[in-house]
Amino acid sequence: MSDVDIHHLAAAYVLDALDPRERDEFETHYGACDVCRDDVVAFRRTLAEVAAAVAVPPPAAMKERVLAEIATTRQLSPRVAATADVVPLAGRRRVGTWLSVAAAVVLLAGIVTVLGLARRTSTSYADELAKVMEQDDATVTSLAPADGVQGTFRVAWSEHLGTAVLIGEGLPAAPAGTAYELWWFPQPDATDSPDSPNADGRLAMYVLDAAGDGNVHHVLDLPADPAAWAITLEPEGGAAVTTGDVIFIGAVA
Amino acid sequence: MRARPGVLPPDAAAPADGDAASALLRRAGRGDQQAFAELYDVLSPLVHGVVLKVVRDPAQAEEVTQEVFVELWRTATRFDGSKGSARAWASTLAHRRAVDRVRSEQASRERQQRDAAAAIRDHDMVVDEVEAGLDQARVRRALDRLSELQREAVELAYFGGHTYRDVAVLLGVAEGTVKSRIRDGMIRLRDELGGEA
Repeated sequence: MSDVDIHHLAAAYVLDALDPRERDEFETHYGACDVCRDDVVAFRRTLAEVAAAVAVPPPAAMKERVLAEIATTRQLSPRVAATADVVPLAGRRRVGTWLSVAAAVVLLAGIVTVLGLARRTSTSYADELAKVMEQDDATVTSLAPADGVQGTFRVAWSEHLGTAVLIGEGLPAAPAGTAYELWWFPQPDATDSPDSPNADGRLAMYVLDAAGDGNVHHVLDLPADPAAWAITLEPEGGAAVTTGDVIFIGAVA
Repeated sequence: MRARPGVLPPDAAAPADGDAASALLRRAGRGDQQAFAELYDVLSPLVHGVVLKVVRDPAQAEEVTQEVFVELWRTATRFDGSKGSARAWASTLAHRRAVDRVRSEQASRERQQRDAAAAIRDHDMVVDEVEAGLDQARVRRALDRLSELQREAVELAYFGGHTYRDVAVLLGVAEGTVKSRIRDGMIRLRDELGGEA
């Protein structure tokens, strides 16, 4: 899908008229695109007007049912400042060819599983992952989950290709109104503010399929020189800086 | 390395919308059930109207409307007025849950075998119902200003709960055409009804 095409999907997106694959692609895109985010906000406001024109009060008895149910329903914790610590890196280390071959062997079982899943979801994802893993500089970072967090996230990438592939599996559905969001941390020597990710450090947003198969597979343009990757839960529209707890994190070895 | 806290502390989030519903939703986010009850009074016709239009079946629509309100309650803690009003968020959630409901129903009924006659009846019914149900002259006027294809495409997607690919089948036009008509139609509606910040 070309860049122009994806900007044009905001209208179909707010109408919930995209198929799941396109919706994922658009959400990936619009989290990082101010134009599309403005479109989404404006179109939603428009649709609220349209919705008001077809308003129908529900049966009176529903109010009591709703109030009874919320009285026993716990609210989500509000966004909390992220506090996960990342082991700082002494400096940039490129994985040597020999090591990457060894790593590839160790990872093989996992990658085969991923490819098997990928064929059912997106061929471009499987192709891109295969291309990345063929590179001499292929690197895979497994992100460590915070205590009690289910599922796995890995990022496979090649600087030579300029491509990163995000592989999330066995994940619980993101709580309603929230989405998993991926962040990258620049190398300490590559930024003026080495101690924190910033708005520029934000990569994109990936929302799990509502069908909830628990898998997230995305192909991204590799940001320059990543030092670490992290996943947080954010409001569905995406956040410009991290607001949720870091639930997965991994430093580049 | 320490991730920086968010730019929006819960209470400092200056509401871009000063409306009552958003204020109530923020109070509900602090656990105020009375505020949520008032919010229900304000938003329930909006939510139920959308759900009913898409789901059609009254009993199922009630279930979905109730789900939407429980979800509004659960997520009220994270409401961010700078990303849109409570009304916009509630109608977004209502439509999404309604569409989830009809699509999971359709999937279980092997929608691939949908026959053309049923599709055409479905289409006419949606459009007729929408025309009959619009009680706000302003919205009706705005919809009337769309080209026929724009209006049908937007209505089939929004009120019919169809994907744009389904809309293309229903209208017998190319998918790309539907995509651009939906976009043109929404831009026009936005210009007629407001939607700019």
